[in-house]
Amino acid sequence: MNTTSQTTQASDKNLELMRSFSESYAKRTDTYFCVDPSVTAVVIEGLAKHKDDLGAPLCPCRHYEDKVAEAAAAYWNCPCVPMRERKECHCMLFLTPDNDFAGEQQEIGFDEIRATTNHC
Amino acid sequence: MSAAAQVTDSSFKQEVLDSEVPVLVDFWAPWCGPCRMVAPVVDEIAEQFVGQIKVVKVNTDENPSVASQYGIRSIPTLMIFKDGQRVDMVVGAVPKATLATTLEKYL
Repeated sequence: MNTTSQTTQASDKNLELMRSFSESYAKRTDTYFCVDPSVTAVVIEGLAKHKDDLGAPLCPCRHYEDKVAEAAAAYWNCPCVPMRERKECHCMLFLTPDNDFAGEQQEIGFDEIRATTNHC
Repeated sequence: MSAAAQVTDSSFKQEVLDSEVPVLVDFWAPWCGPCRMVAPVVDEIAEQFVGQIKVVKVNTDENPSVASQYGIRSIPTLMIFKDGQRVDMVVGAVPKATLATTLEKYL
C-alpha cells in the first residue's frame, strides 16, 4: 500500500508544542497517560500533525468529512469539549485515575515519542 | 501493523459486502492511539474464528468514502457485516471477550 502524507510525522516544533501541552494539561486536570506509552506517543504525534496541516490540534481518533471545517468548528480541537466538560478522552491521551488503562505518568519525552512513531 | 488484510474503498464491496462469511471490519487511522490497542485483539479474534469469519482493516484516512458511507466518527470502530449488511458495531478499544461475544451472535 502506498505511503501517503497521512502517515508522515509532524514538525519538531509542533511535536514539542503538543508534547509540552499534553504534560501540563494532564497535571492541571489530574489525569494520566496510558499505561502503554506508545498510545500516548502516537496521539501526540497525530495532534502535532494536525497542527501542522490544519493550524489546530484536531483529535486524531475521529473520522471527519472535512478536516478543515472541523478544525474551524473547534469542537474536536484538543482539549476537545467532552474532555473539558467531562474529562472524556476517547483517544486515551488523558485518563482519569480510575480508568483501567491509566498509568502513573504525566510526562513523556520528545525522543520517546519519536522512538515509537518512527516505526509507524 | 497486523495480519488482517487491508481493504480499500474500491475493494470493500468485493471483500466485505459480497463475502459469504460474516466480516469483522476494523476502521483505524495511523495516528489513533487506541487503534494500536485494538489491533492485537482483532488479530487474536481472526485466529480464534478462523474459517468462520473474515477479518479486515480499513484505513479511514486513505479510504474516506467507505468511512463516510458507514458514518464512522470515533476511531477505532469495529463493524460486523453479514450478507452485505452492517449488523453490529463496537466503538473504542474493547476486551477480546466482549468482541468474541458480539461476534458469536452472527455465526
